[in-house]
Amino acid sequence: MRLLSLALRDFRGVRDRIVRFPALGTTVVVGDNEVGKSSLVEAFGLVFDLPDDSKSTRIRDIQPVGQDVGPEVTVELTLGNRELSYTKRWLKNRSTELAVVEADGRRRSWTGREAHNEAERLFRQHVDPVLWQTLMVSQGQSLVLPTPADAEPLITAVTAESGTPVDGASMPLVTAVEHEYLRYWTRGGRATGDFARSEKAVATAELTAAQALKAMEEVQQDIRRAERLTLDLQDVTGRLTDHLTSVEELRERKKATDEILLRRDSVRHRAETARARLENHTRTRVERERLLDEAERFAKIDAELAERRSDAETVARTAVESVHAAEAALAEVVELKDARRTDVQEAERQVSELMDRAELDRLLGQQAELVDVRARIAAAGTVLDRIKVDDALVVALESARAEVVEARAALAAGVPEVSVRRLGAEPVELSGTGLDGGAREVPSELGFDESAEVLVSGELVVGVPGQVEVTVRAGGEAATLRSRVDEAVRREKDLLKKAGVKDVAAARELLRKADTATAELHEARRTERTLTTGGDPGERIAVLTARLGVGADDDVEAEEGGGKQPAVEGVPGQMSLFEEFASPHDTLDFEDFEVPVSAPDDLAGAQRALEEARDALAEVERLLGDAEFAAAQARKAADEDRSEAQQARARSELAGERLAAAVEALEAARDLLDDDAVSAAEAEATGEVEAVLEELAAVQEQADAAGADQIAGELTDALAVAARLQGERDTLRDALRTTEGRLEQSGRDGLATRRDLAELELAGVRAEHDSLQRRAEAARRVHETLSRHRAEAQTKYSEPLQSRIESLGRSVYGPSFRVWLDDDLAVAERELDGARLPVEALSTGAQEQLAIITRLAISHLVSTGESSVPVIFDDALGWSDKARLRDMGALLGRAGDHGQIIILTCMPDRYEYVPKATFIKLDA
Amino acid sequence: MGVGVCWVARLSAGQVSVLTAMDDSITFLHSSDWQLGMMRRFLGPDGQARWGQARLDAVARIGEVAAATGAAFVVVTGDVFEHNQVERQTILRACEALKRIPVPVVLLPGNHDALEPGSLWTSAQWQAHQPEQVTVLTGTEPLEIAPGVEIVGAPWRSRRPLSDPAAPGYADLTPAEPGTTRILLAHGQLTSLSGGMSDVPTIDQAALEAAVADGRLQYVGLGDRHSTTRVTDRIWFSGTQEVTSPEEDAPGNVLKVTVGAGEIEVEPVRVGAWHMVDHRVELFDEESLTALEDWFAELPEKERTYVRLAGDGSLALPLLSRLDAMIDAQGEVFASVERWAKFWTVRPAPDAADLDALQLSGPARAAMEELRQALAGGDEGAGAALSLMHRLARDAG
Repeated sequence: MRLLSLALRDFRGVRDRIVRFPALGTTVVVGDNEVGKSSLVEAFGLVFDLPDDSKSTRIRDIQPVGQDVGPEVTVELTLGNRELSYTKRWLKNRSTELAVVEADGRRRSWTGREAHNEAERLFRQHVDPVLWQTLMVSQGQSLVLPTPADAEPLITAVTAESGTPVDGASMPLVTAVEHEYLRYWTRGGRATGDFARSEKAVATAELTAAQALKAMEEVQQDIRRAERLTLDLQDVTGRLTDHLTSVEELRERKKATDEILLRRDSVRHRAETARARLENHTRTRVERERLLDEAERFAKIDAELAERRSDAETVARTAVESVHAAEAALAEVVELKDARRTDVQEAERQVSELMDRAELDRLLGQQAELVDVRARIAAAGTVLDRIKVDDALVVALESARAEVVEARAALAAGVPEVSVRRLGAEPVELSGTGLDGGAREVPSELGFDESAEVLVSGELVVGVPGQVEVTVRAGGEAATLRSRVDEAVRREKDLLKKAGVKDVAAARELLRKADTATAELHEARRTERTLTTGGDPGERIAVLTARLGVGADDDVEAEEGGGKQPAVEGVPGQMSLFEEFASPHDTLDFEDFEVPVSAPDDLAGAQRALEEARDALAEVERLLGDAEFAAAQARKAADEDRSEAQQARARSELAGERLAAAVEALEAARDLLDDDAVSAAEAEATGEVEAVLEELAAVQEQADAAGADQIAGELTDALAVAARLQGERDTLRDALRTTEGRLEQSGRDGLATRRDLAELELAGVRAEHDSLQRRAEAARRVHETLSRHRAEAQTKYSEPLQSRIESLGRSVYGPSFRVWLDDDLAVAERELDGARLPVEALSTGAQEQLAIITRLAISHLVSTGESSVPVIFDDALGWSDKARLRDMGALLGRAGDHGQIIILTCMPDRYEYVPKATFIKLDA
Repeated sequence: MGVGVCWVARLSAGQVSVLTAMDDSITFLHSSDWQLGMMRRFLGPDGQARWGQARLDAVARIGEVAAATGAAFVVVTGDVFEHNQVERQTILRACEALKRIPVPVVLLPGNHDALEPGSLWTSAQWQAHQPEQVTVLTGTEPLEIAPGVEIVGAPWRSRRPLSDPAAPGYADLTPAEPGTTRILLAHGQLTSLSGGMSDVPTIDQAALEAAVADGRLQYVGLGDRHSTTRVTDRIWFSGTQEVTSPEEDAPGNVLKVTVGAGEIEVEPVRVGAWHMVDHRVELFDEESLTALEDWFAELPEKERTYVRLAGDGSLALPLLSRLDAMIDAQGEVFASVERWAKFWTVRPAPDAADLDALQLSGPARAAMEELRQALAGGDEGAGAALSLMHRLARDAG
């Protein structure tokens, strides 16, 4: 379709206007608001939609306000190869005219309704309504993205382009399949319509059938129960009948035996009376016997008790005597015990004294030894004091000796050694100074043939009186050597003097002695320490002597004086400890000291005496225990015997009273009836009883023979059984009646018919449901399969449109522009510079541009076919910036190369970049 | 009089002994298994109503046969009612039908309407409406129905008898008085005919034959088997008065029995009006389909006929559509036409030509092709889908 011209007269605000459009290329219709741009689009729609006699409000709306005129529209267009001129006037002077020029030049025209119908037919034939709606963009709809999937020409075009076979015949099939599917299923895949109802019907029928079946099952159970009850009832009834017969028999027998029982009762009664009387007499006799017996018994008891009383009193007296005797014996033993204890104490004292004495002896010995040791200590000390030599001194001595020898040797070497020998009788005198004869003194005169060898450090004069005198003088050094020798000798002498010895050997001897004395001293001191370990024996001795009390002070002093002698002997000047106790009585000999004892003076003997004394004491103590026990026993026995005697007396008195009472009672009874009469009465009653019992035995025998006693019991039992059976029968009968009543009701209700009907109904709805289900499943299968294949195909279809949109879009957005289409061939997502976004997320401007690009792409795709339609934009690109406007303008211009593009706008500057566009200005 | 049709041709054993001396003979009718109140699922509500009525009509026709043949009485050997708990309407209508039999009628309780607790026979509903000439055998005491004719019966007292259900009827009998005709009414399967499949005790045929042979019984009327069946000359199953299942051989008859001195004549008389038919077809092409159409066309009394079809084979989609349409249409004409699910294995066999004929292209064609292959692969569901799509495409095209 190409729109060639559009003429409006009296159409809304337009008085008269004609707009002509180039058949190819882009036309921009420019006009201010309200000038009637949109009326052009509206007029085109109305002229094909509404016949001239339409009363539609759409027609009313286009009549100019306040003018009673008929709006008129004339449109010139091509459809296929035809050219149409179509004029329509509504409301006033209504008319419709259609002129058609065929491709071959034939011209035809219609008027009125025919013209309308023919125009409509031709329009429908050539214009796909979906495509037309898609490409005609009314005011304010430019943002709406087209969803052209059902546009037949587009499908045809993309099909042709994609190489997928033409799907021309499938659209009605798709609709039919969809329709069939929706008969059974909702779009969500749930059962619906008759199918869903049928499911419910099945469920309902199943429920009903189940209930009816259950009711019938209950009936069957009731039948079985009733059968069982009937059998049971028959059984119980039979047993009951049999039983009742036996009950009757029992009744008869009972009647017969009742007479015997009556008689027996009478005899039994008499027997009881007789027996009662006998019991009475017997009681009297027994009572009398008791009274007699009691009197006798009490008399005997009384006698016995009186005797016992006198015995007891005798015993009590004896007991008192025994107590006295026992106490006397006890006193004796106590006395004896005291004596024995004194003995023991005496023995103990003796033993103790003897032991003290022994101890004292020992201590005195120890003391003597101590005195001796101390004397030795003192002696050793004295020796040591006297010896002045010690190790150092000896060493000094030895050194001094060595020096002397050394000095002498030096002298001998350094001075002339003169040997003088007397040869003749003439004395030879020797004198001089500084002479040394070595080991010998230089003699002042030589005997015959005596010689002297002298070292001369000074001057030696050898003279033979009167004959000769020779003087030898030593050299210069001799004096020095001489003085050294002298010095050494002097020092040695000093040392020897200091040591108090005459030579070194003596010093050494002395040193040895000192060592010996030291060892002795140490040994003595050790002994002293040992002896004094237990304290000073003197103190102990003092205590013991004091304790012994023998030897008064004199004795002790005498003893100590005796002991002192050896201690001080040989150590004069040594002050002894004992010297303080020295007394004039030191002549008293220790041997004279004696303890004046009467008992054996040896310890063992004394101890033996002690043991004996102790044994005697223990013996006496034992005797004392026995005596005490005997006394206690005697006292206790005496108490008991006294108490016994008292009791015996009390009992005796009581017995006397009882005896008196018994005798009194007996006498009273005898006054009433004497003893013989009592016995006679009892014998008579006994005879009576025996007679009656005999009679009773006879009757009982009869009763036993007839079984009289059992029959009553048997009858009772039998009646109980009968009652139970009757109860059982009644229960069964009731149960059976109830069950039969229920069954009767079931029969009245026709439960079997109901069940059959319910099952029939169920089978019916099930069959229907199965059938529906099969159809529903088939519909679903077809729908699913077809939808899947369509979706696959559409994916293929979408490729040409997609690539067209992308190629157009890249001229605006550059090479990174990409789009994705959904199943309806609508743009779903756009990618730019790698960012992929759903179209809803795009800016308004971008959405509008994408909508325009998509429409241009569609238009481009269908432009080659006869089905192409103009693309009409009523005011678009309102959201695009300058740069985009330029690119979009270029795009719109290029689109004009392939088809008719009509743009209606009040903003012509938006489209100033559209190349080769035809601008048509509308004036008010 | 709709009783004019009296044919015996279909009987398997239609022996008829010709009576030479009819002077002191007695004629009566023997029927059984009326099963009033029975429901048949396959008939549908309308068919069920009409068939139910037909069963009553057949009872009425027994009355007509009785009148026409001069029968002295009618015996019904068990299962008069389908169940002891049938609805009141069934009982009352049965009573009405019975009233139309002009001679005495003796009814025997069978397994369906046993004389058990809650039995229909002891119910107030029955007893209040029981027609005067109708007697229900509730015991085994002989009943003199006519001078010289004694009926003994073995009514079922429970649905689960413990022993031979016929035995109580004749066990204690001595041979009949000379000149007395004694008829035993019993219900149950014969050991020989049940094939040992019966789960209740069966009737001892040998004992029965012995009782007939030694003169204790002159005729034994049996019930339970719905097909008219001769056991011996004197032992018969009458069969049901109106067909109840396609499996029955010879239903829809009443037996006219004439017993004379030493002789007997038994003649089945048709009283039923319905037919139940099994038909097996093999469908593979148009010709076989046409043959089926012809078969349907030739059947008489279509509105009283139930057809159960067993089918095998495979059909092209258009033929399958046609078959469906045919069965659908015949279902309207006949009382009921049913595919016998157990033996119905007709498959769609789409060929490329069928699909080409639809001029489908693109996804539609692809979808159909997919379904066709699925069917070929044994997918039953695909067959139904394919048929549907075929129909939709054809209609849409």
